Amino acid sequence: MADSRLRRLLAFDRQFRRDQAQSPVFLHRRDRRFALDCQDGHESPTVDRWLSHLQRIGQPGRDAGTVQTEDELLGRWRGLLSGFALAGVIIGVIAMAGLLFFEGGQRINLTLLLAFAALQSLLAIVTMVQSAANWQPWHPVLKRFGLSRRESPLKPLMPAMMARIAHTAGVCFGLAGIATLLVLVAIQDLAFGWSTTLSASAESYHRLLGAIAWPWQTLWPAAVPELALVESTRFFRASVDSGTTNPQLWGQWWPFVVMVWLFYVVMPRLAGLILAQIQIQIRARKALARHPGMVALDYRLETPTVDTGNQHNEAEDSPDEQTAAQLRALPDSQILIYWAGAGNPELPDSLTTGHLLTETAGGQNSLTEDEQAIQRCADLLGKQNRPAVILVTRAWEPPIAELEDFIELARHHWPRKTQIALLPYVSDITEVKIPRHLGQWLRFVERLDDKRIWVSQPNLRSPESAAHKEQPEGFS
Amino acid sequence: MADAPVFAVVGHPNKGKSSVVATLSQNDAIAIALEPGTTRKRQSYPLSVDGQVMYTLVDTPGFQRPRRVLEWLEAHSVAVSDRAETVKAFINQFRDDPRFADECELLAPLTEGAGVIYVVDGSTPYSPQHEAEMTILRWTGRPSLALINSIGTDDHSDTWERALGQFFQVVRRFNAVRAPFEQHLSLLKTFGQLEPAWERPLDNATRFLSEQRYQRRREAASLIAATLEGMMSFREKRTLTVQQATDLSDQALADQLRDQWYKNQRKKEEHLRIAIERLYQHNRIQRQEAELVWHSEHDLFSERSRAAWGVGRRYLTTAGFGAGALSGLGIDAATLGHSLGAGALIGGIVGAAGSYFYGDRLSLPVLNTGILKDGLKTASFGPVQDSQFGYVVLGRAVNHWWHISLRNHAGRELLDLAPANDHWLEFLDRQSQKIIHQVFERYRKKRSVDDKTRQNFISAITAAMNAFDQWRLNQA
Repeated sequence: MADSRLRRLLAFDRQFRRDQAQSPVFLHRRDRRFALDCQDGHESPTVDRWLSHLQRIGQPGRDAGTVQTEDELLGRWRGLLSGFALAGVIIGVIAMAGLLFFEGGQRINLTLLLAFAALQSLLAIVTMVQSAANWQPWHPVLKRFGLSRRESPLKPLMPAMMARIAHTAGVCFGLAGIATLLVLVAIQDLAFGWSTTLSASAESYHRLLGAIAWPWQTLWPAAVPELALVESTRFFRASVDSGTTNPQLWGQWWPFVVMVWLFYVVMPRLAGLILAQIQIQIRARKALARHPGMVALDYRLETPTVDTGNQHNEAEDSPDEQTAAQLRALPDSQILIYWAGAGNPELPDSLTTGHLLTETAGGQNSLTEDEQAIQRCADLLGKQNRPAVILVTRAWEPPIAELEDFIELARHHWPRKTQIALLPYVSDITEVKIPRHLGQWLRFVERLDDKRIWVSQPNLRSPESAAHKEQPEGFS
Repeated sequence: MADAPVFAVVGHPNKGKSSVVATLSQNDAIAIALEPGTTRKRQSYPLSVDGQVMYTLVDTPGFQRPRRVLEWLEAHSVAVSDRAETVKAFINQFRDDPRFADECELLAPLTEGAGVIYVVDGSTPYSPQHEAEMTILRWTGRPSLALINSIGTDDHSDTWERALGQFFQVVRRFNAVRAPFEQHLSLLKTFGQLEPAWERPLDNATRFLSEQRYQRRREAASLIAATLEGMMSFREKRTLTVQQATDLSDQALADQLRDQWYKNQRKKEEHLRIAIERLYQHNRIQRQEAELVWHSEHDLFSERSRAAWGVGRRYLTTAGFGAGALSGLGIDAATLGHSLGAGALIGGIVGAAGSYFYGDRLSLPVLNTGILKDGLKTASFGPVQDSQFGYVVLGRAVNHWWHISLRNHAGRELLDLAPANDHWLEFLDRQSQKIIHQVFERYRKKRSVDDKTRQNFISAITAAMNAFDQWRLNQA
């Protein structure tokens, strides 16, 4: 149970680290999709389902980086646990064999056995406290086994996990001790007695033993020593006379010893093991709930994905804004056409005066009016040796197909050699605007691909034109 | 959602239709160029929540032959009631005619039920020449809204507003490049008011967009927190053989490691920049920012960078007191309050004193060489010894985030991240100041940070981002 929680925590952490390379937008979309699928299937989107879903749809293989898999990491912990358990068994056998060492001369001192059992109980309690207080005296051991990584998600669980290992070793130690005791009881005649330097009477020693044996007095009454046994099995190391006691009595202590071992060596460790197991479960649950990735995952599962429609990419399709077309001088023209409301009355007098014909086209004019204007121009152009037209436009308005149509129609009606100068005009000329506005007009005439059409500006005048007309103020 | 409203963004060529769509769909890959006819095909940008479309914006080409279209429509209509049908008939007739490809593209969504978003450039003078296209749009009979976008610096919005009011239900001003996010939402809500059935989906959409924005702020804070952790605890390590260690002087080794350390720090900061830009769906930003170069005038420890993003001695002392007091609280908790707050007080004084004396130090990371082991020697450079480094990185990161979060997707200008000239952290609440300082100190001292502190750190950075926002607002 605890291992499944650990496995979940580790798997979640591994996925979290793997996801760090992904964009938040993608993760949100992926996890929200999962949440919606769960909703459709009337299931709650648990972490286990989420992990198995990702494993199902993704590559369940190993990570290329430094992230350890759950099996690797838990395998190391299991290895450590097995090692400690084995050590517990060996030490348990040795310790019990040592305690029960009997060469026939001296009795096996119960007081020593009781003190040893008390020490074991104390060690079990210390381990429990150490785990509860998050004290990690075994940290260097874990480091050596590569189990204590700085960013390990198991970090908050390590005290409890170490306690579990210690308690498992303790339980193995205790059980091995009992097994050794029983074997020795079966194959040897063990002579237990009690001895102390203190001036304790048999009655008070019996009372102490009664208190110690209290937990099992109803469970196994034979394992509770009687006063007579206590009285008759006291011995003194200095005393040479021990032959008055019935030898059978020395051996009657073993059920008590077994129960002492069971209750004061095995049981505390077992209780500690259960406690550590519960601690691991609780801490694993908390660690998962507090995991930085969990808050983010909850959000991604709960919150709808908002797609603003930004997938379409035409960044590479931007038009080519380069042009080979150049500005050229204004021709000496007697016809001025204002396109789409341009120029009039914004144009300076220098540009408007001296023309025989001034026409308007485009904009609010109808197409028929455009055709009539073209015809009137054609009549005049037909009488000229060097026919030319200045077509004034609003520089900031982009040239659209209507203008193209107009020029095409005009060229159809006007003499072939007619020159057309487009004059994109801005009343408040500034350095910033001119290049931006003129670019679109230069590219427009380039598209028309006709050498008799070009773009001009008021300050670009042909020598003849300059001689013919007065230079306007402010347009040098 | 079958009834998801569709809005066709239409208008004269080159008036910022694509800019409006780019900003509202948060797509910086839409081609925006000062060239008429950049958009040749209509392109849909649906906003979907969990895959369900809430509304769709359709970017369309501009009108190229409006008078010719209007002439055809007028010639084929006998009554006001048949106008919408006549527009449909026009599309049916000229669908394959290249002359009217743009008009068919832009009118088609309107005949399919889309609302009209007519975009004009408020920085150019009003011209009645646009009336033909406005009339055509009125003929479609669709709910309509006019948007005065301002591409240039001049402002003719008032004239436009009066004129557009004659043709459209609603007229709004909206600068696609500069409008703050709240105005995006407000505009979308206005779209919803064009028809009663559209109100609900647009309200929902704006709610989801607000939540998404809120969450992005939190995610940006997480990214900044993670980068700060990485940068402040970063160590450049190198393993040397005995020969290499002898050949290389300590100074030369320190220089090499330092250069590599700077390089990696810059890389980490760059990754953060890109991650935050991706979070806000900015994929094509060109940045201009002082690099993290130690030796230049933008040196992190130079007076200039320190003045811009570092914190003063008074701030350090106050924050140091708070951070120390937070740590000292642990002593009070351990004594169950019997220390009467002395732990917090002592911790505070120690923290404040440390920060006060530390505040004047400009300490670079130091070179640490390990002992010879197995014929190899390790040398490391870092982590940074100065928590001011954290404040400088934090300031730069928050400044970048602020620019990105306010940047509209229609913006194509260079992102200029000029340093600040006043200290913004003064706007941050004391608790967040303490947490940030405490975490910086932990990183500096190579101590690990648990998940809870990390979450608090993220919250404190979120608060710092809000404070920066507030500070900028006060500056404006």
